[in-house]
Amino acid sequence: MALEALLGVKESFVHPFAAEEEGKGDFVINSFNNQLQLSLPPLANPLSSRTNFESEECGRKIKINFDHGTTTLGFVYKNGVILAVDSRATGGQYIGSQSMKKIIEIHKYLVGTMAGGAADCVYWDRVLAKQCRLYELRNKSRISTAAASKLMANMAFSYKGMGLSMGMMIAGYDKNGPSLYYVDSEGQRTKGKVYSVGSGSVYAFGVLDSGYSFDLEDNDAYELARRSIYHATYRDSYSGGIIRVYHMKSTGWEVISQQDCLELYHKYKDDKPLLSQ
Amino acid sequence: MSILAYNGSAVIAMKGKDCVAIASDLRFGIQGQTVSTNFEKIFEMGPHLYIGLPGLTTDTFTVLNKLKFRANMFELKEDRKIAPDVFLSMVSNLLYERRFGPFFVEPIIAGLKPKTFEPFIASMDLLGCPNKPEDFVVAGTASEQLYGMCEALWEPDLSPEDLFETISQALVNACDRDALSGWGASVYIIEKDKVTHRRIKTRMD
Amino acid sequence: MAGVLATERTLPGFSFENCKRNSTLLQQGFKPPTAQKTGTTIVGIVYRDGVILGADTRATEGSTVADKNCSKIHFLADNIYCCGAGTAADTEMTTMTIMSQLELHRLNTGRPVRVSTAKQLLKQLLFRYQGHIGAALVVGGVDVTGPLLYSIHPHGSSECLPFTTMGSGSLAAMTVLESSWKPDLTEEEGKVIVRNAIAAGIFNDLGSGSNVDVCIIRKGSVDYIRPFDIANLKGQKQNNYRFRRGTTGVLSTRIIPLVTESEEIKKTEVESMDTSA
Repeated sequence: MALEALLGVKESFVHPFAAEEEGKGDFVINSFNNQLQLSLPPLANPLSSRTNFESEECGRKIKINFDHGTTTLGFVYKNGVILAVDSRATGGQYIGSQSMKKIIEIHKYLVGTMAGGAADCVYWDRVLAKQCRLYELRNKSRISTAAASKLMANMAFSYKGMGLSMGMMIAGYDKNGPSLYYVDSEGQRTKGKVYSVGSGSVYAFGVLDSGYSFDLEDNDAYELARRSIYHATYRDSYSGGIIRVYHMKSTGWEVISQQDCLELYHKYKDDKPLLSQ
Repeated sequence: MSILAYNGSAVIAMKGKDCVAIASDLRFGIQGQTVSTNFEKIFEMGPHLYIGLPGLTTDTFTVLNKLKFRANMFELKEDRKIAPDVFLSMVSNLLYERRFGPFFVEPIIAGLKPKTFEPFIASMDLLGCPNKPEDFVVAGTASEQLYGMCEALWEPDLSPEDLFETISQALVNACDRDALSGWGASVYIIEKDKVTHRRIKTRMD
Repeated sequence: MAGVLATERTLPGFSFENCKRNSTLLQQGFKPPTAQKTGTTIVGIVYRDGVILGADTRATEGSTVADKNCSKIHFLADNIYCCGAGTAADTEMTTMTIMSQLELHRLNTGRPVRVSTAKQLLKQLLFRYQGHIGAALVVGGVDVTGPLLYSIHPHGSSECLPFTTMGSGSLAAMTVLESSWKPDLTEEEGKVIVRNAIAAGIFNDLGSGSNVDVCIIRKGSVDYIRPFDIANLKGQKQNNYRFRRGTTGVLSTRIIPLVTESEEIKKTEVESMDTSA
């Protein structure tokens, strides 16, 4: 609060349109107080084309989409949920990072994966983490995976069409056992057994579907997830870096492995194909 | 998206002491999809003459075939191998003919001049404007990264062995920051008495 | 048209065979790439005994410096030189074309060509292409009428001036010329003014840079000084990044030996070209 005051930021719980009414000098940031409400452009209709600030005055495109390419996957099996992701962040064809953490631990029994806009995913996951913690304090019990994913879907839905870009999987272990949800920025939320999201998902599905079964043993499940992501990084330009595999168990999430693609390439190069094992 | 980035490529050439090096990545892709990882973009045009043709792959082949035709006709007419500087003019003229409907390639030429065996490197933009610097030339989707690597790594009078390390590291590390190139690399070191072609280890993602 | 065995018949002039394809690609959203430009400072002045031309040596591709030491003062005839700004390939090729036409003209007429002839040929060529050939030129030379300096714009207009400048750095260069040029300059004074004008472009215009090239054309002699002045001395590298041999992992090596099987040296008498008739 002190810093806000020092910077002359004005508190406001009212709708962002207030900025226009109260005078031009005021700089209103709602998200300081209410993270569910982002500042919208002070226009009568914030969804109008003028809100798509995609190019600057000279017509040059403004790069607002960072980190679009990704491969993430998740599946439910007898011993919980497996999540696996790559770690590459690209801005166009430029590789911005090879060590992004695309699995976000919301709490011990809930993790989310991110694909799409990196900033969107990180922000809304953080808001979700707060909401989940508040729920826990209020109700003296952990939030269910279904409820958490619904919170996320509702938040995403309220900004539908305003340019958010997210495709996330939320995996958790609660009273009802392991579960996996897919939530995206269009407001879609579905429960399922096997998901893969991102530009490399088609390649990942190719491997995943050929090897998936509910009754997989732990090590086979890890290897299936790892290989699916690995093959996606090979074919998809926008995926790569480190392959991280997480396991959501009844005792909470666990990191299974974090391996560099180069290491895996040389390991798999001379291996037999997965199916003949 | 630029049409030059449709297939993705990275080519680089460097001068050394009495030798030149030319190297390229081996990826052939269609936008984000990697189709092949064994695709050479460097072609032999004579014993001491190589050309790299990064850019749109369909034009790589069209330009290559047109150049082969013209270079062969030159050899038949003149009864001698084409020299690198003459070949440069040939490529430049071929590209400039299509000034108003260009081929989407940015050729790089590396070779040794006949008789003197003086190192020669050159690059062109897609309209055929020749550029003959004293140090290195780069082209392709990773060109910005390559410029950065070369400015730091290149030094004059490198021996063939050191030139190999320098050009390889420049290429490999540039491709590691470019999504559309990489997946193996091929390096040619051209010396007076031999050409050494090496395939080098790179990231495969 | 051409049979399988018929050789390729190359028609003179530009080929438009790719135009339709390229415009289709453009419609599909594939923008044509940027050609190399000489975002340039070029100047020319008339002094007491002739003409001095000057140019910087930077060629750019978008915001990248593509060539740090390119030559922008082109030879047209023994007594005429030409500075080029604009699309690098255009200035290069246009001056080359006119150079050969002037040489043929000289051989046909048997006397040194006039500067106005060069100017006329250039502007007629540029006008024919209605500005699509992006070459802005400063032509300078000395002929029977004395020193002459022309500037030619990409659309084909030209003017005869005592001092002129072109390119993106022309505003910076013109400030120097406007304040210091006067009639009847000595060669030394002229060189300093040209150098200062180019340096103004190099330091104040982002498209210009590196060295100053100067070409002094007097009656009967030419001094092409390249570089005349290194305006930006590059710092010495304090250390090197030379890699230890064996750093790069080699997968395979193929050595192509080049053995000279036979060498024959034929000595031929140099025959002087028959230029009579």
